[in-house]
Parts: sequence; C-alpha cells; structure tokens
Amino acid sequence: MRGIEEKTVLPNRTLRFQRRAMLKMMMTLPIAGLLPLSSLAAEVAQSLPDASATHEGASPWKLRILTPHEWATVGVLSDWVLPADEISGSATDAGVPEFIDDWLDFQRGDLLAEIREGLAWLDVECNRNYKQNFLDCSSTQQQQILDRIAWPENAAPQDARAVRFFNQFRDLTLSGFYTSEMGVRDLPYLGNQPQAEWRGCPTAVLAKLGV
Amino acid sequence: MTQPILSGDIYDAIIVGSGAGGGMAAYSLTRAGAKCLMLEAGDWYDTAKDSKWLQWGYDAPHRGESKTPYGPGGFEAVVGGYNVEGEPYTCATGTDWKWFRSRMLGGRTNAWGRISLRNGPYDFKPYSRDGKGFDWPITYEELAPYYDKTEELIGVFGSVEGLENLPDGKFQPPPTPRCYELLIQKTCKDLKIPCIPSRLAILTRALNDRPACHYVSQCNRGCRMGSNFSSPEVLLYPAQLTGNLEIRCGAMAREVLMGPDGRATGVSYIDKKSGEEVQARGKVIVLAASACETARLLLNSRNARFPDGLANSSGLVGRYLMDTVMSDVTGWIPSLMHLPAHNEDGVGGMHLFMPWWNYRQQLQGKLPFSRGYHIEIGGGRRGMPAPGLMTGSETLLGGGYGKALKQRSRSLYGSLVGFHGRGEMIPNPQSYCEIDKTVVDQWGIPVLKFHFQWSDEEIHMARHMQETFQQIVETMGGKTIESYGEKDQWGISAGGVGFHEVGGARMGSDPKTSVLNSHCQAWDCKNLFVTDGAPFVSLSDKNPTLTILALAWRTSEYITAQVRAQSV
Repeated sequence: MRGIEEKTVLPNRTLRFQRRAMLKMMMTLPIAGLLPLSSLAAEVAQSLPDASATHEGASPWKLRILTPHEWATVGVLSDWVLPADEISGSATDAGVPEFIDDWLDFQRGDLLAEIREGLAWLDVECNRNYKQNFLDCSSTQQQQILDRIAWPENAAPQDARAVRFFNQFRDLTLSGFYTSEMGVRDLPYLGNQPQAEWRGCPTAVLAKLGV
Repeated sequence: MTQPILSGDIYDAIIVGSGAGGGMAAYSLTRAGAKCLMLEAGDWYDTAKDSKWLQWGYDAPHRGESKTPYGPGGFEAVVGGYNVEGEPYTCATGTDWKWFRSRMLGGRTNAWGRISLRNGPYDFKPYSRDGKGFDWPITYEELAPYYDKTEELIGVFGSVEGLENLPDGKFQPPPTPRCYELLIQKTCKDLKIPCIPSRLAILTRALNDRPACHYVSQCNRGCRMGSNFSSPEVLLYPAQLTGNLEIRCGAMAREVLMGPDGRATGVSYIDKKSGEEVQARGKVIVLAASACETARLLLNSRNARFPDGLANSSGLVGRYLMDTVMSDVTGWIPSLMHLPAHNEDGVGGMHLFMPWWNYRQQLQGKLPFSRGYHIEIGGGRRGMPAPGLMTGSETLLGGGYGKALKQRSRSLYGSLVGFHGRGEMIPNPQSYCEIDKTVVDQWGIPVLKFHFQWSDEEIHMARHMQETFQQIVETMGGKTIESYGEKDQWGISAGGVGFHEVGGARMGSDPKTSVLNSHCQAWDCKNLFVTDGAPFVSLSDKNPTLTILALAWRTSEYITAQVRAQSV
C-alpha cells in the first residue's frame, strides 16, 4: 500500500470534555434560565476564524464595488429610508452602506445592475429638475424625487423601473439594518442566548393572545 | 488513466457515504465486530470544532449568508449545494430538477429539519390501499422494532397521540409551544385540523453523554453540544471507538468492482487530494451515497456480465425517482403585533405540526388526490434575523421610507407565520435518472441526467395546501402575504428542492420488478446492499431520515446474520 493518507481522525476529545464541563455549569446555575453567556461565548469566539477582516463595522471602509460617488449617494439614501429615531440610530449609524457595498459585491448580477441604474437615475432626474446631482439637492428636492418612487401604488408608469429600484434599495437597507447589532436590539430579537430550560410562551403574551 | 493503487487490507465491509444510512450501517456492523472502511466524498467536519454556533450574523462575512462557506461548513453546517464545482449533472428538456449534494462528513445529517416521523401501516402498502404506486415488501410491523431502537439511540421528542397512520414512538417529552404556535393550534382546533407536538431528533433530556438542548434554534449551524442527531455525533464517533471503523474522507467513489463470479469485490475511488485512483477491497459492499449517487454508482459499474450496470437486470436502477411535494403560504397575523418582546428561539425546528387528517375523505373518493401531506409551521420571533428578512417591503410595509417605515417594520416583526405543506408524491415512470451519454465530472466519471414530472395528483395536492393554508390565515384574522394560484401551479416546488429524493434502487419481492430484495440486498449480487433512500418504494409525507435509519439498521443486522451463517 502506498500513497494513501489514512484519514482516521478521532473526535476531538478536549472539546467534548469542555462540553461536559459547560453542561455541569449549566446545571448548577442558581436560577434556571438565562445562562451567563460569557464563558460559552468565549469558548466559541476562541475557535472562530477572525471575522474582523471582513466585518462591516471595521473602519475606514475600503470600497468593494461601489464608486465613491455611488457610496455617498447610498449613504444619504439609506438614511432617508431608515433615519434615527428615539429607539435606534440611522442606517449609516448601523453600517448599512458598508453592508450594501459588500452585499452587492457578493451578489453582483441583476441586483448590482438594478441598483447602479437606480442610483444613476436619481442624478439624471435631479439634473433634469434641479440642475444638480441628488447629493447636492436640498432636502426638499430629494424628498420630492423620493416621493415619486417610494409609493409603488401611486407612482407614474414611466417611473416603474425607478420604483423597482427603490423597492430593492428599501429591502437592502432593511436587511442591512435589522441584521446589524443596532437593528437586532431595535426589533428586539432576544434570542441567541443559551437556556438551561425552555419555558415556553411568557404569561404576559399568553394573556394578550388569549390562548 | 494511470494504474490504480491497490489498497492493502481486505475489509469485512466497505460503506460508501457517511450520512444517515452509511452512519447507521457503520454503527451496527462495527459493533458486530466487522472491520469497516467508510468512503466519504467530502471533507472531515466536526461540529465541536468547526461549527459557528452562537456567532452573530453581523460578526460573520455577508451577515452569515450561507452560500459561501468560509472554513468548514460556513455559517451553517452545510458543505455542498445544488451546484458543486466540478460535479455537474444534466436535465432532460422540460425537466426542472435541482440536485442537492452534501460534501462533508455526516452528509445531510448536519443540516436538516430533524423531523422524525415513522411511516405508518398505510405508507408501506399504498398500492393495496388505493391502487396507485407500489407496495413495499415489508410491513410496518416488521420495521417497528427498528424504529423503536433508532428513536432510543438518537433521541426524538414527541407525544403519544394514537392517530391514524401516525405511529407513536419512544419519545422524550416535547418542548412547550411558542406563542404563535399556540395561536395556530387554537385556530386549527376550530377548523378540525389536528395540531400536535412535533417529533424532532433533538434532545429535551440528556441521553448518554449528550446534554439536552439549550434552545437557540441553531441545529443547522452544527450543535456544539451534540444535543441533536447527526451521523458523526451519534453513529460514527461511537463506531470509531470500537476500533473497527476507518473513515477516508475526500474519497469519491467511481464504481463498484466485481469479480469473475459476479460478486462485488470492492470499490474504486478517486482520492481527491492526490488525484489518484484507489481500489479498496471488501467482502461486503454497502452503498449509502444518497439515492441518486447510489444509482449513478450502480449504473457506472458495468462489465460483460452487467452491461447495463450492476444490479440492474430489472432495468429499474435510477427509476421511480421521488421527492416531497411542497407548497407554502406566508400570512401576516395582526394579533401577533405589539406583543411584549420575548425570546422565541426554542429548538431548531417547529414545536407543533399538523399531521394529515383526511384519510377517510380520500378513501371515500371525496378529494381529487390520493395521498396525504403534513403541515410544518414557522415564523414569529424565532431565529436570528438574517438578510432578506423584510424582502418585499413594498407589499409587507406598503412602501415608503423614513421614521414611519421604521415604526412599521418594528411592529411587523414577529407577526409573520409560514405554512409549509409537505406531501407524498406517487412514483411515476417519467421520473428517473440515467447516465448522461456525453458529460463527465472533473474526474471523468459519467454524470446523471434527470427526468422529472409531477402528475395531476401532486398538482391537486398543492392546490389543497394553498386553499387550506389561506383558510387558516384568514381564520386567524390575518392576511395572506405570499400565496399561489393556478397560473403558478399552486406554488408546487421544483423536483429535488424538497431534499428528499428517494427511490432509484427500490426494494421488492420480485427480481423482475425491483432492484433489491426485502433486506435491501441486490437480487443480482448477493454481497451488495443499499442503506440510503434509494430502496424506498414510496415516499410518504413523512420525512425520510428516520425510515432510512431504521431500514439501515435492519439491513445491517441482516448482513451480520448472513455473514455469520456464511450465506453472503
């Protein structure tokens, strides 16, 4: 026999030992319920590849596919879609432009083409009406353009492509925002927390639902 | 091709594939003392090391989008997909078939729904019941002891219900329902649709050295605690501890080797790392490569004695391919809005489901289709938000932008529920795979060409799903967001998308009309067995994994008994 790498790998004993240790810790918690996530999370974080190189929060952001002008337009536009309010910050606060640049680079194809066309359309329409690019327009002028395309049911037929673009852009902004740390807290999504036991639907919700 | 390398040892058994069927064969055979070699086309994957469990999407590339694995398994424990580089397949004109291939240790048991339903008595004898399709050569009673053993080994939660054609099992206690599930259950009660605890291969109580679930709904990301069933965790590692199992990953099987006496003598495979062709020798060959890969292996194993492929004297290898019938509806339920925020993760799957409830009406000819479906449910606040969570915002949120849009998004969160119909396809002669005459993969192995058609039976079933789910949504006081009508063929899925492709080497009691006998032993080749989904004669609405496991265990015990009696 030659040239064959014997690939018999035994399961990782150390990690399985750690698992039992974690289990023991879970069982001895004073209050059954939410775990102190720190030790579990630390154990996981230790073994994960370093995501910081690709993390959208890293600054300064190195553009992946958008041009600097598109990037600036995406920033302003995404904050029109999701501005700051009393509960959370704006799209740019949450890193949505970084998400969009990365996502378009990742997906490419029709989505990228549609977004590119739409961003260009904003400038073309602003130049036609206000003799300047979207970014240089006043808030009122920007809003006038957006109002033409943000309400699909009321939009003029000749704006159909731009409406489709804005639908996509709105979806992208929502995706980027609500998958960010800020967005998760805004919803709020309260999961991804290991539980020692599952306690079902809270009494307050049961009462409200009448079930 | 250069001269193949002859691997030294002669194994008692060579098992091709490390998923549910291969894993169970390895578990049973090694415990009986057989020296086994397992060939897996993918790489090693160990959840305890490779899983991205608990990692937030915003800490992962592309927010955890799983299409591009970064490191073993990516954000989810999936290596593989419909498109695997260097491994094409083709479709006949008019066929829309998607073939999911898993390329990792444990195969598809790493990321799956873990829905573990027994086939019922009707499901083994469908032809006898309604004159369509074919009967299995075994009865429910013959497989029941193996369902018992399998459930006790892997751990399945559920409830004893005593329902028609839904045999109860050896269950751990089920988790209590989520909020939206309780609302669905209440509605189903009004509509006289049963809505009961689901049956999933996830531990709610510790079992052996595996702790109970910790409820983060991340089964498909690879459970680091080993609290759910996967082949490596529950079958392969214990099999390795016997000292009788050798696993070779990166080993892509090309063909089953045969001796002059017509017996299988081994498997020829490509060592993907070195690119070398290796011949491993074994006394018994067990194929568990997934239904279509198993059919492909058989069809590609030809010689003068078997010119049309090994075990194919019936001409039925690759024939009667089936997949689950699927159609979905999404509903928006206003009463789920403005609820106090709560953690709805739970286990990595639904806590309740609706089994098929219309057996009697079908028997009386009151429905335009003959077989059943069950309903799987999802939605609410379950699971980490992922890209696409508000796709279709122009419909969902009525368009717009600004603070009002933000407020509407917040209110909408948690108020969507999904109904997923999963039904039985009746096998038909138009659905099969064969060897493509010209296309080969990167190693020169001829690839599969697929032919697939739904019949009116399945289309009528999809219509019934749509109408039922829309009725449930309306009864809940909700509005259907995503649904399908006649022009979309009632939203019926493309073949293969159900991930439940089975058949292609069916069991039977007559060598003229089946590939395998009632013990999944090839009629034409006594020491060749199949333990994946290929032996399935029908595909009931029940998800196939539990039946693959039980059947593989039964087959493996038969192999052991035959070897001991020197009959193989």
